[in-house]
Amino acid sequence: MATAKEFIARIDEIDGVAGCVLLREDGSILGGSLDDPDLYTPLMVLGGVTAHGIKDKVGFTYCRHLSFNRAGKDHFHLFPIDKFFLGVSQSADCFVPDMLQAVLRLIGRVTTGGTSAEG
Amino acid sequence: MPYGGERSAEDHSDAADLSSKEMEMKQAIDELKAIPGVVGACLFGAQEGLIQSNLPGIFKPEKLTEVGKQLTKLLVAGRLSFSDLSDLSLHYDESVVIARELRKGLTVFVICDPSFNHNLLTMSLNLLQEEMRGQVDVQRSGFAEDSTPRPAVPLASPPVAGTVDADLEPLLAELRALLAKVLGPMAAIIFDEVREQWAVQGAVASRVNELVKLLHVEIGDADKIKTFEALSAPLLKK
Repeated sequence: MATAKEFIARIDEIDGVAGCVLLREDGSILGGSLDDPDLYTPLMVLGGVTAHGIKDKVGFTYCRHLSFNRAGKDHFHLFPIDKFFLGVSQSADCFVPDMLQAVLRLIGRVTTGGTSAEG
Repeated sequence: MPYGGERSAEDHSDAADLSSKEMEMKQAIDELKAIPGVVGACLFGAQEGLIQSNLPGIFKPEKLTEVGKQLTKLLVAGRLSFSDLSDLSLHYDESVVIARELRKGLTVFVICDPSFNHNLLTMSLNLLQEEMRGQVDVQRSGFAEDSTPRPAVPLASPPVAGTVDADLEPLLAELRALLAKVLGPMAAIIFDEVREQWAVQGAVASRVNELVKLLHVEIGDADKIKTFEALSAPLLKK
């Protein structure tokens, strides 16, 4: 997975993913398929910082993902990936565990493949 | 009463009432703890700090207070983006943290094993949320009947939140924009939160310097504070 564009395309192919956005940890957008990715940027950065802060404070090891659970079931999930944040908006009718597992599997392949998602 | 806090003698007459409320809150989080996979829960008040916890002793009150602050901030920010936000779940390797705003200024967070029963916990949180909202209604009607001054309790002073001088709005907008130059995309959320906190004591021109000081605390970095001071100084001299 050499480039952000390819990575985003692969995430979008996952069943239940309505759209995604990939950021650097400073909030700059690398790419995405959501209509207005700027809307999600501040929340993703704050979410990433919060997840990291709680990890350090409590002594947890690694944050796999953070979910903003919505009454409409179109939850928004944030995945910290090294110095990047991936935000995924899910379809309201998807089977969430399968969708999350597929995203985490793809992230695992990117991060253990020795290549960066940036490109 | 905040976790680990002390009461003055003047509040003694309210002690039984407070005790009863504390017991109810304790009971509520104890019920959450009875759910399989739940390690424990905490109630955190935006004003009071840590109110109740039944987490094991390794979770120190100071750490839980910090966690409560961060989760409360994220819930507020989340609601700005998603008006139908119900709760947050943070999935770590060994634990899951669920946070929900029970009512304005009161957050519950629950720490669970990864194998916890999400549906059961969600249902219990829904019930707790309904219960807390009901209590607020009762408290409001109770306070309306009992207007006896209670000088020892800071909350007794009448808040004037949201009453911003119309002339002040352009200045606040400029400060918000300047903060964005220093903090980037986080600035809008931070500014709005700090402004809300500041406005409780009255959003008037004579208190703008206090707002700026609160913003300095949130910026937290000496160099960035200097930059913000330099940028905002011309506005504050007007």
